[in-house]
Amino acid sequence: MSSVWLPCGDYHWNYAQDQGWWQTNFLKGKMILLLAIVFIGIPLVADEYWISVGTMIGYTAMGALGVQLLIGYSGLLTLGHAAFIAVGAYTSVMLILQFPWPQFLIDWGLAYPISIIAAGIVAGLWSVLFGLPSAKVKGFYLILTTMAAQFITVDFILTQYVSQIGGRGQAFSLPPGTIKIGPWVIENDIQIYFVMAVILTLMVIVLANLLRSKPGRAWIAIRDNDIAAEALGINIVWYKLLAFFVAGFMAGVAGAFWVCNTAALSPEHFQWFLSLWLVGVILIGGVGSIQGAIFGSIFMVVVMELLQMGAIPLAEYYPKILFDFAYIKDMAFGLAICAFLIYEPNGLAYRWWQAKNYFNLWPFSY
Amino acid sequence: MVQVGELKEGDTILKLEDIHMYFGKVAALAGVSLEVKKGEIHSIIGPNGAGKTVMMNCINGLYRPQKGNIYFKGERVNALKPYQRAELGISRTFQKLELFGGMTVLDNIRLGRHIHLKSGILSGSVYAGKTKREELESRKFIEEEIIDLLEIESIRDKSAHMLPYGLQKRVELGRALALNPELLLLDEPLAGLNLEEVEDMARFILDINEEKRWKITCVLVEHDMGVVMDISHSVNVLNFGIQITDGPPEEVQKNPEVIKAYLGEEDLYSTRR
Repeated sequence: MSSVWLPCGDYHWNYAQDQGWWQTNFLKGKMILLLAIVFIGIPLVADEYWISVGTMIGYTAMGALGVQLLIGYSGLLTLGHAAFIAVGAYTSVMLILQFPWPQFLIDWGLAYPISIIAAGIVAGLWSVLFGLPSAKVKGFYLILTTMAAQFITVDFILTQYVSQIGGRGQAFSLPPGTIKIGPWVIENDIQIYFVMAVILTLMVIVLANLLRSKPGRAWIAIRDNDIAAEALGINIVWYKLLAFFVAGFMAGVAGAFWVCNTAALSPEHFQWFLSLWLVGVILIGGVGSIQGAIFGSIFMVVVMELLQMGAIPLAEYYPKILFDFAYIKDMAFGLAICAFLIYEPNGLAYRWWQAKNYFNLWPFSY
Repeated sequence: MVQVGELKEGDTILKLEDIHMYFGKVAALAGVSLEVKKGEIHSIIGPNGAGKTVMMNCINGLYRPQKGNIYFKGERVNALKPYQRAELGISRTFQKLELFGGMTVLDNIRLGRHIHLKSGILSGSVYAGKTKREELESRKFIEEEIIDLLEIESIRDKSAHMLPYGLQKRVELGRALALNPELLLLDEPLAGLNLEEVEDMARFILDINEEKRWKITCVLVEHDMGVVMDISHSVNVLNFGIQITDGPPEEVQKNPEVIKAYLGEEDLYSTRR
């Protein structure tokens, strides 16, 4: 926060300025421009296809932010984040379909927003349950315990039991018009995009604020040096579980958002590969940076879409490519991670930082 | 020995009774007792492997002694975890540097304010009102009391792991001070510093011990005999987990057993350099 580059002759006069978020007018303008692009520019310019790509990016980023909090900021390696997204999605959908809502809540369109928050809380608590081993184990062992979360939650509980509720078979279909926020029925891509943009913006604000206050510093301290952190008065177990709760909450909200983007919810949306994918996203974007989670999501989703665009004309000469496309995608994912780990282990966020520094000093080199 | 209320200068602030600490069959501490009075600089010396750092870790709670009692301000703290002891007012620095490498110097010191801040996840995520105010107050404290005292204004925005060793030691002291502790454990604060940095660090230790603003009781583990004998009010000498003697520095220097324990070092008072 504090290492913001200030133009010559620009000084801070009090601590509030020095701890502020957007410390110069240039930064302020830049952030407002970014928000304007996200909320006005893209919906105006992009066609339906790219809007839905933007929604995918947002959904990936929501999941990646939670993973970033666990891996990048708290040092808790996790490979089961999709489980908590699934818990959120199923909590939300069950509440919408099964809960006896009072009529006025449905009329006012509050059922879905309430279910989003409930989904966050349930997923957060579920995540704390599987975070409990982190009190004793670290590193690779924690990966295995979080993978257990994935298989127990999605493959066992959700597939075998929850999906059978109501006799709908594997998928929970959502009748049109069920998802309502206030006066708006969420049905077309633009509306879904706006829901995504609002939720993602709020998430980024919340996470950024947490990271500059007491809990966030405690998380980073535990990541960097848990012994020193404990000697300085941090209850390590409590803060680790708190990290699991917040990450689970974010995953739950992401899952509840996914409900409005799909016509039928099925456990297949939350396979283990999604957990792995989210870890890949933060590796590419940059571990330990909020921007990294977003850059990584943009990169991964856009590259996959471009691959798909490239594959379609090729299918004329080599038809099998379309059938094999899922595998090509996986392969590209692996290759991208290899390439980043070798050539830019600090991720896209670091490149962005370098570029910013370069232009801050331009035309001088230092 | 329960005491109520504020301790006066000269009251016992920390008391260790008959501490035994074993690692397997190795006795790191075999029946060591120690009494630290409020307001003093109390040094623990001894050859390598004497159990000095183990003792620090027992006081701080990183190790649990198998036998013996630890009293802090008259309260038995054996069962308390390190973070609970920190909340009582015990802070420490480490022999090997244990800074938070990914944080800036300022954030490292801010983290030391952890026990004094109140915000949780809800108030922290909004970062307005109370949270903002307490962050600003804590910043004011850090800037005006700690950064100013330790003369690290110019590096406050640097990443901690990029700093030279001497400055890292200084930042670590700052981080420990940010807790505003009553008892400060200094584990070899002078190790690996050059002469100038040793002088600075000794000055800081004297400052925090004597200045009205701080008045912190210090427990010091150090090999630099010159500094130890100069600044401490009383000294404990350990060897192989057994206490040889204790007392004011002048008495300890004359003790023949102490001289024997440091066999090979002809002049006890000469420094390592």
